[in-house]
Amino acid sequence: MSQPSEPILQIKDVAKIYPGEGKSTTVLDHISFDVYKEFLCIVGPSGCGKSTLLRIIDGLDKPTSGQVLFHGQPITSPSPKVGVIFQTFALIPWKTVLGNVQMAISSTPIAKEEQLKIAQKYIQDVGLEGFESSYPKELSGGMKQRVGIARALALQPEVLLMDEPFSSLDALTAENLRREVLDIWRDPAYPTGSVIMVTHNVQEAVEMADRVVVLSARPAKIVDDVKIDLERPRSPRDPVLYDLADRIISKIS
Amino acid sequence: MPRPSLRRRVASSSAGKTASSFTRILLVAIAIGAVGLLVIEILVNGAANSILSNDLTPSVPYFALRTLTRMTIAYAFALAFALAYGIATAMNHRASHVLLPLLDIFQSVPVLGVLPVVFLLILGTGASAPEFNQEVASIILIFTAMAWAPTFGVIAGINAIPTDIKEAAHAYGMHGARYLRQIVLPAVFPELVWSSLLAWGGGWYLIPIEEHVSFGPTQHVDLPGIGKYIAVAATRADLGSALFGLIVLVGIIFAIDRLVWKPLGTRAEKYKYETIAAPRTTATRQSAVGVEVRKYEDRLVSPVLSFFKSERSYAARVLELTRWRRIRHITEKLRFPQRISRIPLWGRLLSYAIFIGLVLLGLIVTIMSRSQSIAIGISLLATDVTAFELAALTLLSLSRLLMAYAIALSWTLGAGILIARSQRLSRLLVPIFDIGQSIPATALFPIVVILLVDPFRNSPLLGFTLNLASVLLILTGMQWYLLFNIVGAVNSVPNDLLEATAAYRIRGRRFVREILIPASFPAILIGSIQAWGGGWNALIVSEYIGPNANVPGLGSFLVQATLPSKNQLLAPLEIYASLLVMTATVLVINRLVWRRLLRKADRYKFEA
Repeated sequence: MSQPSEPILQIKDVAKIYPGEGKSTTVLDHISFDVYKEFLCIVGPSGCGKSTLLRIIDGLDKPTSGQVLFHGQPITSPSPKVGVIFQTFALIPWKTVLGNVQMAISSTPIAKEEQLKIAQKYIQDVGLEGFESSYPKELSGGMKQRVGIARALALQPEVLLMDEPFSSLDALTAENLRREVLDIWRDPAYPTGSVIMVTHNVQEAVEMADRVVVLSARPAKIVDDVKIDLERPRSPRDPVLYDLADRIISKIS
Repeated sequence: MPRPSLRRRVASSSAGKTASSFTRILLVAIAIGAVGLLVIEILVNGAANSILSNDLTPSVPYFALRTLTRMTIAYAFALAFALAYGIATAMNHRASHVLLPLLDIFQSVPVLGVLPVVFLLILGTGASAPEFNQEVASIILIFTAMAWAPTFGVIAGINAIPTDIKEAAHAYGMHGARYLRQIVLPAVFPELVWSSLLAWGGGWYLIPIEEHVSFGPTQHVDLPGIGKYIAVAATRADLGSALFGLIVLVGIIFAIDRLVWKPLGTRAEKYKYETIAAPRTTATRQSAVGVEVRKYEDRLVSPVLSFFKSERSYAARVLELTRWRRIRHITEKLRFPQRISRIPLWGRLLSYAIFIGLVLLGLIVTIMSRSQSIAIGISLLATDVTAFELAALTLLSLSRLLMAYAIALSWTLGAGILIARSQRLSRLLVPIFDIGQSIPATALFPIVVILLVDPFRNSPLLGFTLNLASVLLILTGMQWYLLFNIVGAVNSVPNDLLEATAAYRIRGRRFVREILIPASFPAILIGSIQAWGGGWNALIVSEYIGPNANVPGLGSFLVQATLPSKNQLLAPLEIYASLLVMTATVLVINRLVWRRLLRKADRYKFEA
């Protein structure tokens, strides 16, 4: 994919240090990279601070030093142009599917009825038509994550952040959802340009991403930045992917 | 953006911060104490003098010991009852059909309503009973306040044993006593600890009332104890001594809490069965608390040392919240609607029949022992009070309860949300509220009476201040349950959900209305059930303060039945009648309101 000269997001020298009793813990050690219109995966060993980094990118958490720029403007609080998908789905149990999706755009000035129509559309797009009035408890894990995806898409975000979106799902469901997320991202009808996905599943990362940023164990530093210029749809059995995965795994361990 | 939840702050809170917050709390406490003392000095000229000149003051250590012994004996019986009844209920399916609903009825009876019945049965209304009989009556009474929660705790604990553990135990040939000792008792331990906390709370509640009370024309219960000290101070309108007694009582409660229940509670957490693969957000949350708990445990090597240290540790406060969460959890189990509704009709009918039979048996024993005729008694009762009057009295009492509930709910909801959202307020207020909730509401009664009723004895305002005092006293019996349940609930909203709402920019008032209040809905219900239980108890002592100071209601009707001037045949009938009406009202409200709402609350629970 050709990269326009202007990056969408710039992560600049971001560090995160938690003060503790006696000694403090450095989680992120001066991380810098730019994000263009691309599917970017952040991989690293468990507990290395990947999710913290993602939260800082969304403005949910503040870096100890450094900053994140979105079109040149620093991010300090969650932006309406950024959608987030959570590992544990983060659905509100007392709201219906429709209510959960509408929640994403409820802070916008759009009229309530219009909000519901938009929510309805995205629920259809993720294949949950007919489940609008169901409650999260009545859905399977895969369906819950579909609600999470519809909720993020309803914002019509320019950037989509995903925190281990498939790791709470069974293998088969995860495989299907991966394909669907890629299809949605590639569909020109959606405005989403950049996707940042955090995962500890290296195979998943090389299968999906245009670029993989590899973090080391805590304190996390960037140890590799791998470009993957393979045609889509990719076959998970492609030997090139195995080689790439091996290269990344050797960097991590 | 909503503040990060308490548990995240716990993980990152530093020692320096907690130490400084402790100093702040200490300063505030000293300031409040100083102002309080000043007020006392002004109100009662020379509070210290009145404490020192009180002839009972030198006996305070002995009184404390006697009260504690009484409580411990009653608790031993309650524990034995809980284990026997609980194991029988949980192990025998058929028996549980009767034992479970019967337990539900028993715990719905306001304990203070049982007081005159126990006195009637044990002491009678004849010659003044010897101290030993008084002691027996008192221990039975405390037992009735203590027994129900641990029983439910035992049942809940046995029911929570995972099937695979049961199967494994049977596969390895564990049966009978060995199964009981190695599987059942450890499984029951955590619930037993947390419900014992509730039980002792119920026991303390009785202490300021039952140690020094007149009953009928000749009986006068007068047992050495800290409750007596407070009660005597109240009859002498001696505010200084009443406050002193209160402080001693709270001191004892607090010491037991820190030295017994907290270490036991920490230990209890170890016995909990772990369920598989908790979602990551929950896992990190628990481990954050877990680390603090472990640190806290290390300090427990020397319990006395930890008593002082724990107050300053933030973990202690987290434990406080954990404890309230556990207590809520138990109450939820106590009222678990599905289990009761799964019980076949015959079981429910039989349990009602047994309860009514027991009440009638008590009545017959009471009346027969005085060789009087029930028929004459009932005709007398009908002339003294009509069903219509009883209904009107019930409604009057209900309106007082409702008013106190509305006040309690509104302030605790506001405070609960503030505490949960502000770290600073939480650090400051939670320990203060924890002390507040440990004060048995009944111990405050004398103080409210001395301040609100005594000065207005001859004033036209008396009617108003009496009603105010009554509502206020009911409020003291209600509010803490609501507060701690709400704080606990708001603090247990999962982290990922808080982040999702922040990411989608749901903030401020909308965050409170759409997230915090629905998230606390189940806890508000549980808190309300506990609060109404506490309210009914408080009602009985709050409506009748003296012959010229009372407001009409079910509570004052009951107390008036125990007065010396009452007709000897009528008294027991009226006592039993009001107890029945009260229990029936509590049961009807439980079924019509709380149980229905609890069923709806399921949707508002977060998945484990």
